Amino acid sequence: MRGGSRAERFAPYVLVAPAILIIVVLRLYPLLLGVNFSFTGDGERNGQTVGLDNYLELIDDPLFRTALGNVGLLVLLLPVAVAIPGLLATFIYLKVPGHRFYRSVYFFPAVLSPVIVGAIFNLLLAFDGPVNAVFGAVGISPVDWLGNPDVAMFVVVGVHIWATFGMALVVFLAGFATLDAALLDAARVDGASLPQVIRHVIVPGLSRTIAFVAVTTMVGMLTSMFGLLYVMTSGGPEGSTYLPEYYIWIQQGQMNRPALASAASTVLFVIMLVVGLLQVKLLRRAGGED
Amino acid sequence: MSRIRLSRWLLAIPMSLLALATIYPLLFTVNVAMKTRRDYILDRFSLTDTLRWDNISAAWNSVGMDRYFLNSLIVVTSSVVLLLLLGSMAGFALSQLRFRGSSALFLGCLAGLFVPFQVIMVPLARIMADTALIDTYPGLVLVFVAQFLPFTVFLMTSYYKTIPREVIDAARIDGNSVYGVYRRIMLPLGTPALLSVGILNALFCWNDVLMSLVMMPSADHRTLMVGVTSLRGQYSDDIPTFASGVLIAALPVLVVYLFLQRQIADGVAAGSTKG
Repeated sequence: MRGGSRAERFAPYVLVAPAILIIVVLRLYPLLLGVNFSFTGDGERNGQTVGLDNYLELIDDPLFRTALGNVGLLVLLLPVAVAIPGLLATFIYLKVPGHRFYRSVYFFPAVLSPVIVGAIFNLLLAFDGPVNAVFGAVGISPVDWLGNPDVAMFVVVGVHIWATFGMALVVFLAGFATLDAALLDAARVDGASLPQVIRHVIVPGLSRTIAFVAVTTMVGMLTSMFGLLYVMTSGGPEGSTYLPEYYIWIQQGQMNRPALASAASTVLFVIMLVVGLLQVKLLRRAGGED
Repeated sequence: MSRIRLSRWLLAIPMSLLALATIYPLLFTVNVAMKTRRDYILDRFSLTDTLRWDNISAAWNSVGMDRYFLNSLIVVTSSVVLLLLLGSMAGFALSQLRFRGSSALFLGCLAGLFVPFQVIMVPLARIMADTALIDTYPGLVLVFVAQFLPFTVFLMTSYYKTIPREVIDAARIDGNSVYGVYRRIMLPLGTPALLSVGILNALFCWNDVLMSLVMMPSADHRTLMVGVTSLRGQYSDDIPTFASGVLIAALPVLVVYLFLQRQIADGVAAGSTKG
């Protein structure tokens, strides 16, 4: 009320300043720096402008191409990664016997570090490990889960989904809390089957939540699988499990090619930007239906 | 009606199997950690008949796990305290105070959400090296804070928006400065949100690998999660000790989960519904 004094007028800026300063200096400015850096050279050409050379090298690098191909695979697997927690949330919402128990058990792997998850699955998926033992017991020959280039990427994505579906489940359940229960009751009274209820009541009612989960799951697959790759495959076998984030780390830390890594970072940022814009579009359309 | 009831019971079967698949990996690891090396090699699945606490102490003592644990504890605690302080200050100003440029500043904070660490890894490492902050506690703390601050500001702003303006106006009439309102009113009223955002941030920081790996290159500055990755090479022929090390690293998170599961889930849900 004595807000006229100078100190008081500046107070809001003082309160916001530290947060803004950190975000601008350590997130937004590095982004520009990195894009700029991607047009310069490495090693002997350090600091020189090289135009698009780094990007051309990326296109030629089979490892980076594999990384992009794997991003494509993630996009294809996205519907599965969204549908699993969506269905489970539906069942929990419909109060399947024991729903409280399922809810807390399913969420549990989501709090573990990818490093811990990866270490545990290294034991489980070892050639002589429990998974192959179960296979052997039912007469299926053992699989080299992490050593076979055709299988390894699917295994890592599968473990990632195992570790994160609990997060999406909680988001879905929060979405269900906003769903009109009367509609659901009406559908039940009309004798609708479960698939019909899902298709005609739940999916349209939760379109916003579904769009949100799809985008956060995609972002999660693009930016939080490093720990699993680092522990489980190191990008192998034969480079088959590379993702852009792993490629960036290798080029920056191991190969001493920071400018090339920056170019890969810029490509990853463009991919994320497309995902982000898609989110805005999806959410807007979903919002229109409400 | 009855069709739905029947299908509910049928669903319990796949759902229980999935629940089993969710906890079995951890139970397997606990079981292995309690075995002797010999038992593990002879039969890795059977329920252990020994409780080898020695494995745990071996893992704890021999590879510097205690050091890594301490590193993680220092970095995570400092990061969370800073995140909550800066996040609640900014959240209070952006939600309750009217000032020029506030919506632009809010958007500036949100923009940070769209810049993942992977994208700025190279320039950020360079900035940290130029300022001699690389491989130091404050350096990693700053990187963690920069990573999770946009989300923290966002959640604190939406939480503080729910507090009626009259509360602040009344406090101002009582003679409090803006800072006094923050300290005496906003901080205590924000406790539930601070708790839930704080736990989430603690989990994110504690579980991080990539940022710690890039920003803390030297061996005695490793955080616990980076330390765990080095266990495998060390104990490739002693899986029970390896499993024990993994358990030590997971234990704090498991304890937090057992007691604060509700707050974690609420934090995740709040992040989604306020979007």
